[in-house]
Amino acid sequence: MKKLIYLIFVPAVFFVLAAFRPIAGKLVSKNAHISFFSHTTLEDITANNYKAMSTLETTTGNVAFVVPMQSFEFEKALMQEHFNSKKFLDTKAFPKAKFTGKITNLNAVDFTKDGSYEATVQGELTIKDTTKPIQGTATITIKGNALTGQTKLKLVLADYGITFKKGKPSTNLAKEIEVTVLAEYHPE
Amino acid sequence: MKPIRRMSRKKIIKVVLFIVGGGVVAALLVGTYLFNKPHRNVQEAAIDFTVSSNALVDEYLGNPSAANKKYLNEEGNSKIIAVTGEVSSKTVDLKNQQVILLKSTGAKAGVSCTFMASTNKVAESLTVGQQVTIKGVIRSGASYDPDLGFYEDVIIEKCDVLK
Repeated sequence: MKKLIYLIFVPAVFFVLAAFRPIAGKLVSKNAHISFFSHTTLEDITANNYKAMSTLETTTGNVAFVVPMQSFEFEKALMQEHFNSKKFLDTKAFPKAKFTGKITNLNAVDFTKDGSYEATVQGELTIKDTTKPIQGTATITIKGNALTGQTKLKLVLADYGITFKKGKPSTNLAKEIEVTVLAEYHPE
Repeated sequence: MKPIRRMSRKKIIKVVLFIVGGGVVAALLVGTYLFNKPHRNVQEAAIDFTVSSNALVDEYLGNPSAANKKYLNEEGNSKIIAVTGEVSSKTVDLKNQQVILLKSTGAKAGVSCTFMASTNKVAESLTVGQQVTIKGVIRSGASYDPDLGFYEDVIIEKCDVLK
């Protein structure tokens, strides 16, 4: 009799858990959107990249982003060429930028419940061959089996060795640019 | 003599002004054109390399720096390639662009091909398992990333199916 109960009860529990399985474990986003915005009184410059890759591990809070730099698209072809060139991001030598970090307040995010959570993310960002610590807050939205991560942060270009003393870039490009990230995650 | 010299001096000044003025106008026109020059039309440009998805992935996994040197351009106008492979998955990115993954079963990585507004319909008509040749511009190569914990695919964009 006991055996029979186990035989029915255990699979039933598994079935229920599987049906209502919360979003958990390793989540992957293969087409994340990263844009940046530079504002000066002379010119506003925007670039968009829809090809960033990211993972989010719900149990450890580990977050990683890899950004193919040549996928940034500008309104003007010339700007895109400058962006890729040796003077700016040197994307032939450094085709990918990378962020690795951790959600430090993992307790504040309930991955089992639909809702919107503020996560603190801390880590390191590598652009060209320069790695710098970086932190910010991200909004994590959970709805059913989908998780969306969103953040906005400021980057000082000089921190990554991108400086201009003369010419158009020194006047038309902001010293600090705004980076927006939007990633939709799904279980691996 | 004097008036003639004065005349010719005036004339010289006129000619010089004309040339300088013309030069300035030409420079402004060229500058404006360069500043506003259109993006390269990938689909109208010539194909640089024709390759299978597996061969391209193997090239990148075997020697990434040599592959980057071969395929990437310093100003981002990287090589235009025609890739043949098997449609492994169909997705849509956050710009509503169709993304076709060319990858053989058992391969470590594939070639992720992003279409555009004008070619999305062509991608929609493809079916998983189909053999197809896709033309696009290469953006980055395949590699194993220990932090992501998976093999990144080769990325090509501005794609269309080659007929």
